[in-house]
Amino acid sequence: MSSLNASLATALSGLTAEQGALQATTNNVANANTPGYSREVPVFVASAPIIVDPLTLGSGVTLQSIESVRDPILESRIQQETQTQGQWTALASALSQTQVNFTSGSGDIGSAISNFFNSINQLSTSPADLSLRQGVVTAADNLATSFNVAANNLAEQRTSLNGSVEQSVEQINQLTQQIAKLNGQISNLQNVGEDAGTFLDQRTQLIDQLSSLVDVSVIPTDNTISLTTANGTALVAGQQSFQLSTQPDASGVQHIFAQGNDITDTMVSGQLGGLIQARDQEIPGIQAQLDTLAAGLANAVNQVQTGGYDLNGNPGTNLFNAPPASGTGAAASLSVAITDPSLIAASSDGTPGSNGNAEAMFALSTQGLIQGQSPTDYYSGVVFNVGNASANANAEQSASAQVLQQLNDQRSSVSGVSLDQEAANMMRYQQAYSASAQVITTINEMMQTVINMKTS
Amino acid sequence: MRVNPNPLPDLISAIQQTQQQINTDLQQISSGQSVSVPSDDPAAAAMLVRNAGQTAAADQYLRSVDSVQGEMQNADSTLNSVVTTLQRAISLGVEGANGTLNDSDRASIAAEVQGIQTQLVSLANLSYQGSYVFAGTATQTAPYVLDSSSPSGVNYLGNSSSNTITVGDHFSLQTNLPGSQLFSSAGSDVFQAVQDLITSLQAGTNIDSAVTEISSAYQHINAQRVFYGNAMNQLNSQQSFLNTETTQLAQQQDTIGGADLTKVISNLESAQTSRQATLEAMAQTQQTNLFNYIK
Repeated sequence: MSSLNASLATALSGLTAEQGALQATTNNVANANTPGYSREVPVFVASAPIIVDPLTLGSGVTLQSIESVRDPILESRIQQETQTQGQWTALASALSQTQVNFTSGSGDIGSAISNFFNSINQLSTSPADLSLRQGVVTAADNLATSFNVAANNLAEQRTSLNGSVEQSVEQINQLTQQIAKLNGQISNLQNVGEDAGTFLDQRTQLIDQLSSLVDVSVIPTDNTISLTTANGTALVAGQQSFQLSTQPDASGVQHIFAQGNDITDTMVSGQLGGLIQARDQEIPGIQAQLDTLAAGLANAVNQVQTGGYDLNGNPGTNLFNAPPASGTGAAASLSVAITDPSLIAASSDGTPGSNGNAEAMFALSTQGLIQGQSPTDYYSGVVFNVGNASANANAEQSASAQVLQQLNDQRSSVSGVSLDQEAANMMRYQQAYSASAQVITTINEMMQTVINMKTS
Repeated sequence: MRVNPNPLPDLISAIQQTQQQINTDLQQISSGQSVSVPSDDPAAAAMLVRNAGQTAAADQYLRSVDSVQGEMQNADSTLNSVVTTLQRAISLGVEGANGTLNDSDRASIAAEVQGIQTQLVSLANLSYQGSYVFAGTATQTAPYVLDSSSPSGVNYLGNSSSNTITVGDHFSLQTNLPGSQLFSSAGSDVFQAVQDLITSLQAGTNIDSAVTEISSAYQHINAQRVFYGNAMNQLNSQQSFLNTETTQLAQQQDTIGGADLTKVISNLESAQTSRQATLEAMAQTQQTNLFNYIK
């Protein structure tokens, strides 16, 4: 009797275990398309045997746990690559906007420089002609405008990057809060020996999102994790999250603070790193080159202009308002100082028909005015630098996208839900369940036999 | 080894890549340019900036050549009229030197030479587009005015300066001769010679030497015309050089930044084929799995 009952219990353990396993499959199938979900596998363990001397009898199966299948090293590689991806995506997107200012077309700085010098060459053919003089004033105005427009666009872009930095910081704060909360839920479950698979998946997903924003390092501690930025600023420690804040400096540039320390310059990776690199390095670099060009050109033209004589025989005055001595802001503030075309100092001797000074001014177009380069050559260098930075960011971005895709493939090959596999598992569990049920039926019949034996 | 059970993200990214290729190709075909933003090819973009600068300069040099040519042709044909007028003065002088003429005959010849003097002043005051061509660089004032109190019969109000103009990256040339060099050159002063002829005709003396004076002025003007001839030749050859340069620059621009349409269209076709294939693969994938077969 007792061994029949034991067999019944053993068969029942099979039924329970297969039901539980089917639950894992059901959950896997339901989450087949859930981002970041790691498939679950049932862990069957044979129950401790019962020793009935001299026999050792098995006592069935225990569904010990349902575990998520994941590769923590792969996940940390994905997080690192996500940071790289975030950085280059932000930079590539910023620079692709920047370079629009440097495409050739009407109104670009290159053609404005050409047009300005050409108007002077035309004036040279008939230096007293007022309409040709007006042509020079107009071309100088257009030149100043083309510098202004490009410089203002760059400044506006920096402002909008500033806004993006603030938004990124807000997102980071939200994510670290959520991660800290999940840390609490995960350690509660793990403390009572439960698998926290779903919460772990969620946390991995959030850390991925956080990685796309900022360079985080994941440091596993007892039963939980801490997150820090690359330079060691704490973002999350167990169930506590540390908020980042932004504060504008005197020029309005948002700096990032963590617990009172300015950590702006340490942000190198992730979207935030890319935004800061574009805002604080790439775009200011281009602005500085434009300023150098604008100041160099304006000063050289003014110098020639003041060395000649205008149409009335008076000594020439500045054609462009003198750029700031430091050169900073020269492109944004470049403007023409004269409106009266007769003030163009085309004459080298004071007679209205002399074109000597116009010739000297035109000669500037091929002189090494700016760091040994002619204005057009220097500008072509700026275009190269802008294009190169943008092309480089694009290339890095797409290389990183490829790596990330491969890593995600790998992750999916480990953790992804395969419907074929789940169907096969389902069949296995169903068959085992049916078999266990059949065993119970048989035991039942055997018991009936025993009972009938007694009454008859 | 377990394989990735969900290849869809890979396929979607492949689709995006081919789509991007198709967009780039279409853009190149529609614009005819391979470089639409500097990042497409930074080095080419920089070369295109320099090329555009050189092209704009060459176009400007051509316009300047045109302007200068116009002025020089006017100056040259005016000098031609001066030469003709001086020839007439020489004939009148030779006629006036004939001993059979009486005072009144000579007076009427002298009056005719005075007409020539006025005519020469008008020729020397040639104005082209608002500027006096033979005034040196004092182009806003008529350079010659008749003045009976002056020994040469005229006053020169211009200066002795000349302009030079750049019509090529390494080429500039003088565009004008001042009246002081053309008409009022010491030793072959046109107006002095004409005034001397008038005076000698009126006095009936030294007519021969006055005629010699006019002849030497005539030769001087003829010699000076060579300047305009040379300059116009130079301008012509510079013009054809600039036209060639413009063509070369345009070819260069096309080589650097023009889209290679044959290549782009072939790229486009292969991208479209690849897109088609990927789409079909996507449609095929995941049509079936084991669940479909469980009855």
